[in-house]
This record gives sequence, structure tokens and C-alpha cells, in this order.
Amino acid sequence: MSTFPILSRFQYDCHVKVVEAEAAQTMDMLAEACAYHSIGLHVADQPGKILRVRPTTDADDAEPWPRDMTVAEAGIKYFDSIDIYFTDQSKA
Amino acid sequence: MPLLERSDWYDIARDTNWTPDFVPREELFPSELSDPYDIPQAEWETFDEPYKVSYREYVKVQREKDSSAYSVKAALSRSKFHDGLDEGWASVLKLHYGAVALTEYQASQFQARMVRFGPSPSMRNMATYGMLDELRHAQLQLYFPHELLPRDRHYDWAHEAAHTNNWAILGGRHAMDDVMMCRDAITGAIMVSFAFETGLTNLQMVGLSTDATNMGDFTFANMITSIQSDEARHAQLGSPAIEIMIKNGRKAEAQQAVDVAFWRMWRLFAITVGIPMDYYIPLEQRHLSFKEFMHEWIIRQYDRQVRELGLETPWYWDLLKDDIENHHHCQQGGIWSWRPTVWWNPPGAVGPREREWLEEKYPGWNDSFGTYWDVITDNLLNDREEKTHPECIPIICNMCQIPISNRPGKLWKARVYQHEHEGRRYNFCTEPCRWIFTTDPERYKKHESIVDRMYSGEINPPTLDNVLTYMGIGVVSEGGHDGHDYRWIDGFRAQAAE
Repeated sequence: MSTFPILSRFQYDCHVKVVEAEAAQTMDMLAEACAYHSIGLHVADQPGKILRVRPTTDADDAEPWPRDMTVAEAGIKYFDSIDIYFTDQSKA
Repeated sequence: MPLLERSDWYDIARDTNWTPDFVPREELFPSELSDPYDIPQAEWETFDEPYKVSYREYVKVQREKDSSAYSVKAALSRSKFHDGLDEGWASVLKLHYGAVALTEYQASQFQARMVRFGPSPSMRNMATYGMLDELRHAQLQLYFPHELLPRDRHYDWAHEAAHTNNWAILGGRHAMDDVMMCRDAITGAIMVSFAFETGLTNLQMVGLSTDATNMGDFTFANMITSIQSDEARHAQLGSPAIEIMIKNGRKAEAQQAVDVAFWRMWRLFAITVGIPMDYYIPLEQRHLSFKEFMHEWIIRQYDRQVRELGLETPWYWDLLKDDIENHHHCQQGGIWSWRPTVWWNPPGAVGPREREWLEEKYPGWNDSFGTYWDVITDNLLNDREEKTHPECIPIICNMCQIPISNRPGKLWKARVYQHEHEGRRYNFCTEPCRWIFTTDPERYKKHESIVDRMYSGEINPPTLDNVLTYMGIGVVSEGGHDGHDYRWIDGFRAQAAE
């Protein structure tokens, strides 16, 4: 499966990072791939929280994509900037 | 025989203008290299440099300056200063020489363009001294680090950096090619002589000179002071050009040149000066924070100079004030995290005492940048050094070529500013970097950042080893490691033991 780069804007991280995504990945899998490069390196883990993925917008107010939606279904493209952010279990 | 007053002969001596017989003036001074603003020649004849010097005086003074700089170096070469030198200060020297030495040669070529194509005879006269100044600066800053080579291969970057594709050098080259190498004489004078040298070089040289003295590095302090005395003189080429531009209805163009160049230089300057001042120089030797320097020299003094000339405070001034609290802290984290990609050994330098100082100088530092270093510190305290090395890369700004970063932690502001042009998506770190692109897309659109090159096939395959080799790491010298071998976490160990 070919991969392509997306821009991981991971909540609380200092840097916007280039992470490889795959079209068949679900949002949970994509969040995990991004978390690998932030949590435990530059961002503290938040046990019990769920990571959600949404498109980057100016006001940080976009709705998250469904957790089981794939990268292809979400229409995420080469070098798109996405937000990965912590949510409470109840909101996930 | 009594000497004439300077005012009796100076104007005649500097006026090398003539009426060309063999070619039209437009061919002798093509607008794209000389003055693209169509300002009448008679207006340029009024160009009056504030600092007046004759060639004879110049040579005499420069000879004395060189004698002093080289004498101090020769005398102190026998000292033990570099034996056991703190790696934080060594990093300041390595970063400085690598970033600056050959840039001075570029500056000499820029001055030469004003010598040849400046539309005013007094501008050409003054730029001649500037051209010679910059040659002297390049020679000093190539020669001084050369004797340190047997101690540490990193000092070879003074000669080699400009010939590599190291990510930090790509940033410097992109900016310098833009404002110095690819501009006409007038725009260049405004961008380099005023926006860069009046605005930022002064601060760099004065700040570094004081720090060097505090460190006991009198060779470097003396060299920097010697260079700065030249900069203070030839930086004055910019102001008269701006005054003539404004008088002839070209205020908007002058304003844009100042705003573009200042922001470009600021983004680099915060790395070469801000990080050393607030992180690399040992706590006991720091005298002012980078923020304190910036507020005094730039926010107060430079802005006043801009307005006194008849220009406006740059539109992004509030963004600059925010960046002063932010940019170099982000890049200290980034450079340290990706330390194998640079030619110096950046110390983390965020032990308990240093963090207390940073919080005092930058209130809120602990809630923001502190959270970033908390994770790193925890990894080091628990023998997870491998977790301090990211396995990915940060996205790079398509203007300043610096990793796109912003405040971490509770005050999280990291964001990429994107822009589409002719089907290509560009990534920028800030609004001003994106704005600069839109002022002249044709100028900038074909450049590829180091990340673009990894995905365009230029670095193929883009493995870690290949990328490092492409950047000159392992070729010129090995890359960096923590400058203090992680000793800065000892304070946390002591706290835990208590």
C-alpha cells in the first residue's frame, strides 16, 4: 500500500510534523500513527483520553471525522494539514 | 601647508559622475540592476551619506583595526581559553562562523553591485568602502576559526557550510539570495543596509561582543567589535535611498522592501542570536535576555528610526512582538531534538535553574515550552535517550526554510499557513512569510524546501542516512549531540533525591 505525506498538527506539540498516511487507514489508525511521533517525544500522554482527527481550520472548530472513516473516504490528500486532538471518552 | 576643511573638498572628491559619450546612460545603468523606480538622475545627485570618509582615511583606520584584531588573536592563541571550553559557547562560535563567514563574501558582492550600478556617485563611493569592509569580515571569520580545526572538525563549517545543502544553510541562502544577491542597487540598499544592517546586525554584534567578553573570549569580542565598527558606517547607505524614494513618490515600494527584508532577516536572526543568548551561554554569563535586547534595540530604537525616515511601523509589528516570545524557544527545541542535522553540539540547557531564569524573563514559559522539555527530561531521567530522537521530520516553511513551529502546551499555537499557487501548495510558518510569497510569487515559486526535495526525488531514497549526507552531515563533519552530555538534567536528579 503506497503512503503519502500529511501534516500532523498534534495538539500541544510545538512542531507540525510530516507523517506518512495510507488511503485505507481509519482515523483511529491515522491518529495512532501521528501519536507515535508526538506522544512520549514532545507531548505528554493523557491516559484515558481518546484521540480524534479533524481538518485544520482557522478557528479550530471543525467536526472530527468518524473514527472508522478511512483516509480515502475523508478525502485527505498530499500535504493536507490535519488536527489530532485529545477528547474525553464520553465525547468520543 | 594648512589643510583644507573637509567640506571644501569632499563633494568634489567623491563626485565621480560623468556624462557618458559612447553608450546611453540607460545602458550604463540598466534599471533592473540600478534603479527600477525611474527616479530622475538629478534626485540621486542629492544622495548625501551621513558618514563621510576619504579613501586615505579609510585605509589608515582599517589597517589599525586589522592590526588590533590579528594582534589580539596572536597573543591569545597561546592561552588555554579553548582547553575545556564550555560547549555552549563553542556552539555559539560554530553556529556563528558557519552561518556568517561566507555570507560576508556575498555581502561584498552585493556592495560591489552598488559600487557599479548605484545611480548616485556618493552612493558608489561609500559602497566601495562597504565592499572592502565585507571582504575583510569574510577573511577574519574564515581565518579565526581555522586554527580551531585541529580541536574540532565542526569549525570547518566556516569554510564549507555555504557549499552544502544543510537545512539551516538553505534558510540562510534563500534569504540572502533574495535580499542581497538578486536585487537592484537601490532595493538592495534599503533591504540590506537599512532593514538588515541598521535593524539587526547592530544588535547581533553588540550583543555577541558583550557575551564574548563575559565568557572571557577576548579574541572573538575584539573581532566582532572590529566588524561592527564597519557595519555601523556602511549601514548608513540605506537611509538616504529611502528618503529619496519617499520624496519621489515611492514610499509604498520602500516600505515593502523594508517590511520584506526585516521579516526575512528576523526569522534567521532569532536562531543565530536568540538561541545563543537564552540557551547556549551559561546562566552565570548571561547579561540580558534576547527579549530585553529586542525590545530595546528593535521595538524601540529601530521602529523609531523607521518612522523618523517617514515610513510606517511594519504591518506585522504585533506578530513580531509575539514571535520574540516564541520563535527562538521553538527552534531551540527543534534544533536540539534534531541535533544530528546541525554542525554544532546544542546544549539542552534547561535544568531547574535555567528554567527559573526563562520563566522570569518569559512569563508562561513553563506552561508552554516547559511541557515540551518535561517529556524530554522524563525520558532522559528514565534512560530512554532513544525517545529524544524523533523518527519523522517537521514540515519546513517555503519562505524562511525553518521548521514550522509555534507554542506547545496549554498555549498551543502550532499551525501551518498554506497557500496555493499555479497548482502547487506552499507551506508557511507565519502570516508574514506567506505575505512575502504573495508580494512576488514569480521570484519564489520554484524553490524547493528540504522536505520538498525528499518527496520530489532529489534526495533518493529519502532515508535518514541519505538525507544527512545530502545536508553535509558525515561529509564535512559529524552532526551534533547534546553539548553537555545531558548534564543539565542532573539538577532534576538532585531534586528527585531530595
